[in-house]
Amino acid sequence: MPEKIIDINSIRHIFSDGYIGIKDISLSIHKGEFIILAGKNGSGKSTLLRHLNGLLLPDSGTILVNGHDVSKHLVQTRKTIGMVFQDADTQIVGDTVFDEVAFGLENLKIKRDKINEKVTQVLEDLNLSHLRQRNPSTLSGGEKRKLAIAGILVMDPQVIAFDEPFSNLDYPGTLQVLSTIIDLNQSGHTIIIATHDVEPIICEATRIIIMENGQIKKDGTPDTLIMHLESFGVREPCSSKFGLGLVPWPT
Amino acid sequence: MADLTPFTYRQGQSLLHIIDVRCKFFIICIVSMSMLSAHFFPCFLYFLILLFFFKKADFNIFATFKSIKYFMFLLVFVFIARALTEKGDIIFSFYGISVTKQGLSGGFLVSFKFFLVMVTGLLFSSTTKPSSVKSAVQWFLKPIPFVPEKRVAVMISLSLGFMPVILKQAGQISDAQKARCGDLEKNPVKKIIRLVLPLLKKTFLSADSLVLAMESRCYSDDRTDSEFTPSGKEIYFLAAGFIISLTLVCL
Repeated sequence: MPEKIIDINSIRHIFSDGYIGIKDISLSIHKGEFIILAGKNGSGKSTLLRHLNGLLLPDSGTILVNGHDVSKHLVQTRKTIGMVFQDADTQIVGDTVFDEVAFGLENLKIKRDKINEKVTQVLEDLNLSHLRQRNPSTLSGGEKRKLAIAGILVMDPQVIAFDEPFSNLDYPGTLQVLSTIIDLNQSGHTIIIATHDVEPIICEATRIIIMENGQIKKDGTPDTLIMHLESFGVREPCSSKFGLGLVPWPT
Repeated sequence: MADLTPFTYRQGQSLLHIIDVRCKFFIICIVSMSMLSAHFFPCFLYFLILLFFFKKADFNIFATFKSIKYFMFLLVFVFIARALTEKGDIIFSFYGISVTKQGLSGGFLVSFKFFLVMVTGLLFSSTTKPSSVKSAVQWFLKPIPFVPEKRVAVMISLSLGFMPVILKQAGQISDAQKARCGDLEKNPVKKIIRLVLPLLKKTFLSADSLVLAMESRCYSDDRTDSEFTPSGKEIYFLAAGFIISLTLVCL
């Protein structure tokens, strides 16, 4: 069994208006896993993701990342677990592609030479080098999402959490992002994707966690849970509906 | 993709692009102040210099002026207000309101100066990355005690960087209202309220998302400082700036 990287013990989060975001969730995530957090809107997927990165802290229970309590080691946690948000437009801070990728390293007070070196490397790895001086607002949806991933990747995270990574993307954009995510997993990153559309990634996933009303309802491998998806408001992939099983998307 | 506003940074290698941002800032300050007491002829000479830089930066002059046409209305308003209120040799009068020779020439000069300041700012912002503006603000504020220069600089840079996103959102709201015949409403106050309220809501939500995205990448005030990259031509620019200022004041 690979090494455990995230350990969640009975966490509960109640928002200020009294709404219970997540209830008594316990979960372990191991290195190299590819996990889909599936569920309909409002099921608690994004809330759970934000707990992993320390953007929300649980009202009760604990989250350990590499054995350290998230609430006491926020910076370390955020270096270990990178998060790519749903709306790429509102998470872009830099005014060129290069500056955007450099943002995280500047926050960590890394020396300028090292920043330049690492950013150049990541842009090359993600085939974004030709856009390095472009204004991010002029990029296509797929390029923006890849830029958001580059901004995380440059901080050398072990885990990358995606919140609805394919929303608002056209088909080529979806394939572009999908291929990047698969490459990241193959290079050893642990991937967690919160989505209500499992079709593009279900073949790549090693595990599906289905959530409803802030609770984990099912946790297992894609082939064992695929038939249960629709009972929790998540569309079953077409290939499965037509009796073809799980067919991977072209990347 | 978001539309670029005339104030958005566009990449390039023109003189204005490569000159150190602190030098540009300083020249803008002295030239703008010198313009307060300038007459028409030196202002016209300065206008020719601005046109030269427009050409050098490879910007489309007519398209840029067209995109600031609403600002021209403001200038016309300033001109009319000045023409109707300044005392002097009466050219003609109606209903007790007199249009004077001094009013017309004074109104034209004030409007022209506003126009020049606007075009100077436009050239500055379209050839300077918001991150460089941030660095320059930080550099100028550093010696001033009790001013959190890093925080002020980040706020300025984010405001500049977020302009395209806010304008894009305003466009989307306006289109959504037009699609439901919102343009049939003739009352300008109601029209503005209908646009501003949802826009404010969207802007605050976007700001929330931005805060989360920045936090997730370990944002803090204590970060790697940006580096300045002087081109070596700053001394000539400073000299030219002083000569232009003197010309504006003395001629």
